[in-house]
Amino acid sequence: MTGKIIKIVAVILLMSLFSCRNSSVRQGRLTFPVADSIPAAEVEKLSEEAVADIVQNIASPVEIAAILQSMQIPFSAGYLASTQGADRLTTNFRKAVMLGIYGADLGYLNIYGKTGNSVDVLSVIKRLADGLRVGQFFDFETLKRLSSSKSNLDSLLFLSVNSYNQIDNYLRDNDRGSISALMITGVWIEGQYLATQVALSYNDEILRDRIGEQKIILGDLLMLLRPYRGSSEEYGSLYDMMEQISAKYAGVKVSYRLAEPETREKDGRLVVVQNEESIVEMTDAQLTEIATLSKEVRDKLISGN
Amino acid sequence: MKKRLLILTLAVAFLPLMASGQPATDDLVSSCVLAAGENTTYLKDFRIQLPKAPPDAAAPVYKANMYLMKNMKYRFGVCDSPGSVGELFITIYDQGKKIISSYNSSTDKKYSSVDFICNKTGLYTLWYSFIGGEQGSGVGVVCMIR
Repeated sequence: MTGKIIKIVAVILLMSLFSCRNSSVRQGRLTFPVADSIPAAEVEKLSEEAVADIVQNIASPVEIAAILQSMQIPFSAGYLASTQGADRLTTNFRKAVMLGIYGADLGYLNIYGKTGNSVDVLSVIKRLADGLRVGQFFDFETLKRLSSSKSNLDSLLFLSVNSYNQIDNYLRDNDRGSISALMITGVWIEGQYLATQVALSYNDEILRDRIGEQKIILGDLLMLLRPYRGSSEEYGSLYDMMEQISAKYAGVKVSYRLAEPETREKDGRLVVVQNEESIVEMTDAQLTEIATLSKEVRDKLISGN
Repeated sequence: MKKRLLILTLAVAFLPLMASGQPATDDLVSSCVLAAGENTTYLKDFRIQLPKAPPDAAAPVYKANMYLMKNMKYRFGVCDSPGSVGELFITIYDQGKKIISSYNSSTDKKYSSVDFICNKTGLYTLWYSFIGGEQGSGVGVVCMIR
């Protein structure tokens, strides 16, 4: 009798060991062929501290969308990347870039409460994440349920942004910084596309400032991509395109006006108002050039040509 | 012998299930985001675990650099893990200059969150530490205020 029990438990144990799809660490350790991880000797490896220094919040999938919503810009599905053909992406390079692009689109959809439309984008994101072996960070069923019910937008936003953060942390912790950099670039280029396309139609100072200030952020994004630019032709090509966008920013001026911050207490919270200010000077012609090139790069990344 | 093997097998089989019943760090992140209040959207979280400061030494600090954008309002929340000895607080620096801290050592007053109305896009440094250099664990969350 005891022997039978042992056998049954052993079978359960074996089954549990081989069915841990949600255990990221175990899955990662067992199955990484690391085709997308680049040996340290082959890259101009940034120190871990330097990468960590530049990586937080370079591109947020929701901040640009929140600005557009606060400007009362109507939602437009025309800005979204098509989900058709996402199944045919074969390289990890393209999967990672598109994961970032769709992540930004998901943020745009969710901020505008267009959750019904986001199920399609979510399905694609899940497939791409699985393809990159980071699908375990997407609680797809919960996200889908929240999207379909429209019941709790805050939870939906939290879960989706948190999933991206977890993927990013996981990739960097597991020497897959090249994939993380691609995903961040995808989020950035889609946010940049969205902001610049809207700015061409709506003259808004806050949005223009946000676009102009990408000059600062783009420098760090290039630093993030630089170690991997020699790793493949497509990586090199991406780096060159991002450098071209950066070159379009050469004439954009960002200056600072110094002032002391003010602190006060409000409703039991401490509030600090920063009076120091960054000031962006960007002409209409510069904005148009940046918008045109950003769209071109974004379209190339989506088409893969 | 068979009995021992049975106990061992059962323990190995069910330990992961028992462990999964414990509160995960993610639960703490979720509750900390919830505590940030309505009209906020989660952006980032930092999981902090620091040892006790050695005698006569500075308190250990977890540092993170984060881009904050002009015209955005941010809320920085801090939450202690259950059982944490120390109380977590945050101090925000802009190029080495202190902007705000959720703990005032002269009055010993601690806030569970601070709001930052940002007017300058740039890379800011977030310092997370435990009051008195105590050992502790917790999370820091960054939300934007809509």
